[in-house]
Amino acid sequence: MDCHELQENLPLLLYGELSPWEQAACEEHLAGCAGCRAAREKLDQFHQVLAQRPKVELSSALLTESRLALDEAIESQQHGWRALWHNGLPILRFQPASGFALGLTLILCGFGLGWGLRPHAARLTSEAPEVNSASVANPDLENMRISGISRVVPDPQTGGVKITMDAERRVTLEGSLDDPKIQQVLVYAVKSYDNPGIRRDTLDALRSHADNPNIRQALIYAMRRDPNAGVRLEALEAVCSMKSSSDVHTALLEALEHDANPGVRVAAVDALIDHTEKEGCDVPTARALEHVAVTDGNAYVRLKCSNAMMKLGK
Amino acid sequence: MDGTCLEFAGKATPRSAAMNEVEELSLIRRAQEGDRSAFDALIRLYDQNVLRLALQVVGSPEEARDLYQEAFLKVYRSIRHFRSEAKFSTWLYRVVMNVCLDHLRRQHTRKEVQVPMVEEGEPEFFQTVPDDRPTLDPERTTHSKEIGQRIQVALDRLNPRERMVFELKHYQGLKLRAIGEICNTSEQTVKNCLFRATQKLRVELGDLA
Repeated sequence: MDCHELQENLPLLLYGELSPWEQAACEEHLAGCAGCRAAREKLDQFHQVLAQRPKVELSSALLTESRLALDEAIESQQHGWRALWHNGLPILRFQPASGFALGLTLILCGFGLGWGLRPHAARLTSEAPEVNSASVANPDLENMRISGISRVVPDPQTGGVKITMDAERRVTLEGSLDDPKIQQVLVYAVKSYDNPGIRRDTLDALRSHADNPNIRQALIYAMRRDPNAGVRLEALEAVCSMKSSSDVHTALLEALEHDANPGVRVAAVDALIDHTEKEGCDVPTARALEHVAVTDGNAYVRLKCSNAMMKLGK
Repeated sequence: MDGTCLEFAGKATPRSAAMNEVEELSLIRRAQEGDRSAFDALIRLYDQNVLRLALQVVGSPEEARDLYQEAFLKVYRSIRHFRSEAKFSTWLYRVVMNVCLDHLRRQHTRKEVQVPMVEEGEPEFFQTVPDDRPTLDPERTTHSKEIGQRIQVALDRLNPRERMVFELKHYQGLKLRAIGEICNTSEQTVKNCLFRATQKLRVELGDLA
């Protein structure tokens, strides 16, 4: 190996990227060549300079924040138009011809429907269902849920009143929790329904089927994201009854470190103790307990963490 | 590619080390079928390293978070197209690499407006950036801060591809072969790119060595 060849290979030598025989040849040349030794020293010094670049410290807050932001972005995708494109209309993506045909059909149907409705359009408002007091006794109407009243017009001549309202018909679904449709409705209720009481009842119903991936995901979602602390607590208890896994463990750590409610954090400590007694205490758990034992704003949570660490022999 | 060549030097999490290929494959399959918890578990194996790399490349936590999100959203959208011909980690880092390259290219086009000119009598821009690290020797701190800034400026002057190759090789410790697979190019091309980057940095920082 000559000097030119060695100096070409010098960076690779320092990075440990040469084969053993190339490395041996370099070392042999360096032993007998002062100029090349000086060149290696210079490159060494250059690497020392580069090592002075400040180290990047990855904070757990940034990691959690990034994970939550990603979670939100994925959630919004799952319910957006992309989800329809990816899940609902796969045929359109792979078969442009059938996509074109379907598009054309939709346009024609649109025109047809528009044409068909045109003569009646003016009468639509007056033909909206009208309800008189006698109809209230109708069992179908009793099953309707009134979501809004848009107009109340008293009639002075008859002494009656005309009410225009938006109503939804109540539907009762009945079936096994193994039925995917039932599961779908319950998972939707846990994630999106605005009544916390219903979300809590739904969690109660779902916890016996936590082995199902969708239900499992919904329970973890509720534990991490539900705005109501009672629901999060219920979800945490349901999650603890699930088979232990890395996602459950991560969710528990997140609850311990970031949940706003001290009751949930205390429940997370208990769950983590249970978990570590079965699985052994890993480094992130020990660190999280140690961190919360010092920094948590609530004295009881700090005490719980300190006791947990003693119990785990930390 | 061997199973460990994409592990970042000394930074692999214990969980990722423990996860074997069969488990990872099962997570990939479930994620491809739409199982969100499997997708979450899968990305947890890599996301710390990805965020650390993004932070290294862009410097600001907010931008790093955006890159993290953009990269993993792309992974989420296209995981169903992933075929096991390449390792998942290679495929993932290819996505991350492309997101970082796009960011660096955008940054290069607006570089002139990023670092304000120093007027006489005004504090130098970097002097205004707070540094919270505790220290007993302010003079030494100022000196090493200046060196850190010089390195950062020199790295920013590399073209995006050279910058990424240098980051992955020098600071993340990836093997050239792995970088070649991530960049979808030959090991020799990566080697040349690394040499060019090193050469430029030595010129820029020659007086410090």
